[in-house]
Amino acid sequence: MTNDTIIRAENLSLCINRGRPNEVWPVRDVSLQIKRGEVVVLKGPSGSGKTSLLSLLGCMSRPTEGRILVHGRDVAKLPERFLTEIRRKRFGFIFQQFNLIPGISVRENVMLPLYPVDISFREMRERADSLMDRLGLSGRSHFRVKGLSGGEQQRVAIARALVNDPEVIFADEPTAHLDTKLSSDLVGILEGLKKEGRTILIATHDPLLYEQGFIDRVLEMRDGSIR
Amino acid sequence: MRKHLKILEYALSSLWRRKFKSLGIIAVFSLIIFTLSSILLLTYAFKREAMEVLRGAPELIVQRISAGRHEMIPSWYGKRIQEIPGVGMVIPRYWGYYYDPSTGGNYTVMAAAGRGDRKLEMLSGKYPPAGGEVVVGKGVAESRFLSEGSRIPIKGSDGQVRNFIVAGIFTDESSLLTNDLIIMSLMDFRDVFKTGNERATDLVVQVFNPDEVENVARKIREIFPDTRPITRKEILRTYDTLFDWRSGMVLTMFGGALLAFIILAWDKAAGLSAEERHEIGILKAIGWETSDIMELRFWEGFVTSSVSFLTGLIGGYLHIFFFGASIFAPALKGWSVIFPSFRLLPYLNPYQVVVLMFLTVIPYMAATIFPSWKAAITDPDVVMRG
Ligand SMILES: Nc1ncnc2c1ncn2[C@@H]1O[C@H](COP(=O)(O)OP(=O)(O)OP(=O)(O)O)[C@@H](O)[C@H]1O
Ligand SMILES: [Mg+2]
Repeated sequence: MTNDTIIRAENLSLCINRGRPNEVWPVRDVSLQIKRGEVVVLKGPSGSGKTSLLSLLGCMSRPTEGRILVHGRDVAKLPERFLTEIRRKRFGFIFQQFNLIPGISVRENVMLPLYPVDISFREMRERADSLMDRLGLSGRSHFRVKGLSGGEQQRVAIARALVNDPEVIFADEPTAHLDTKLSSDLVGILEGLKKEGRTILIATHDPLLYEQGFIDRVLEMRDGSIR
Repeated sequence: MRKHLKILEYALSSLWRRKFKSLGIIAVFSLIIFTLSSILLLTYAFKREAMEVLRGAPELIVQRISAGRHEMIPSWYGKRIQEIPGVGMVIPRYWGYYYDPSTGGNYTVMAAAGRGDRKLEMLSGKYPPAGGEVVVGKGVAESRFLSEGSRIPIKGSDGQVRNFIVAGIFTDESSLLTNDLIIMSLMDFRDVFKTGNERATDLVVQVFNPDEVENVARKIREIFPDTRPITRKEILRTYDTLFDWRSGMVLTMFGGALLAFIILAWDKAAGLSAEERHEIGILKAIGWETSDIMELRFWEGFVTSSVSFLTGLIGGYLHIFFFGASIFAPALKGWSVIFPSFRLLPYLNPYQVVVLMFLTVIPYMAATIFPSWKAAITDPDVVMRG
């Protein structure tokens, strides 16, 4: 394994409701490597296990079988605290449903990952403001999330994913709620992030996204496995 | 350190975000604390005042009864009682009630010489009063706007008004004992009430051996069938039954309020809404530790419960000590028999405050924190599925 490998999965399997009649295996025996600076797309029909795999690689859930190595360290067996720490320090997530908190302001949403980090309020605000600037949200900083358009919410979600300056960005169906115009805006943003040298993992079945030139690899999923 | 402040800030922002819910909880919580603290403060204040009275109460008092009513007792009864073996001094007391038409108040009038049973350290001004002078309690002074040297007219049994000069005023250290008191010289007392020279209101009998009190009382009843000896034990018993009955009622109220509180806490525990659960999932997913989320909920619970606790406690305190327990008044009518002046001395027992806090704040905090702990230890990947 070279230094360039950030995430490495070995024979990953995930089982839900094991031993019960409703047992399912959303992920079966997946092995892959994600290198620094790569943009990788997980593509596949609905129910093929893209989200499940993304959440395994993003240290949100633990595999039933197999290993996940982040920077060479097997995280599957580490205590929960370490997984959280990895998510907090190295990963940024853009969720399919945005998952913003509706009652608080745009800026607070963007700052959310930084509350448990030992930096000052001022620095938190500065970081959030510069990101919102970059994403064309500066005028929206004090708005409630509820009143924003879908595209704006998407950009707030992106700003939140970037605020901890992550190595790897996970995006689950990022274009699902966007029209063509907004989708191509998003493509522009992702391209920019790639230029910054960030590693990006995208789960999608949207051709507009996985047929883009800046994408390095497309992995096809079917029934929980990569073909 | 900064981290904790930031989480506190976020907790405040969260409470503010759900202001109707937060205010609702604070309102209910404060109301319960108000009720509980009112009950606690009231019972405690009563007990304290009653004990105060009893501490100064004589071991044995002899009253004369005529047709079932309290009568003045002839002084020679005292001389005969003094001959009973084991009896020390017999001190006659002179006291009565005086209705003051101008203020509508009922005052206790006493003769200075006969105050063998009361301690008078709380005097400001001069004591004892000379002829034509009186020393009054704070309540009397306030209701009649008296100060040292003012005049107070008192109408005697003969219909004549006599003007007394206020020689001193009792401080309010124990308002219960002295609040409604007017003390004058024995001569003036006899003159105002026309009691005659040979009669006292009752007799305080000193008994050398406390075990002998019952015996002496029995002997007195034998010698003078028209008397009623009252031992301190009897008084204590009366207080006790009264307190028992009251405490029973109070306990019921207390229990009721506590029950209401538990329902509130339980409702909150069970009521971690889908939205709240989802929010916990989001925070978890973007890198908040389980402990950070606990801390967030801790602050929320802490702020809610301390605001409620303080509001309720201060409310209860004001209610009992400055508004005369007006809300409980109908249930407490009977007390005025013992305590004519219904103005309790403000007093906060730290022990009670702590107990009340343990019974409310702690369970509430637990009820806030525990369910979110359950939500926070689960894998955050549920938020990936919306
Ligand atoms: N927690 C769970 N409980 C029950 N079934 C689950 C759970 N997680 C995943 N599954 C099942 O595993 C399979 C894969 O789900 P997953 O969400 O990973 O697919 P997906 O490729 O992301 O689909 P989509 O494109 O619709 O988002 C599905 O059949 C799903 O029902
Ligand atoms: Mg999915």
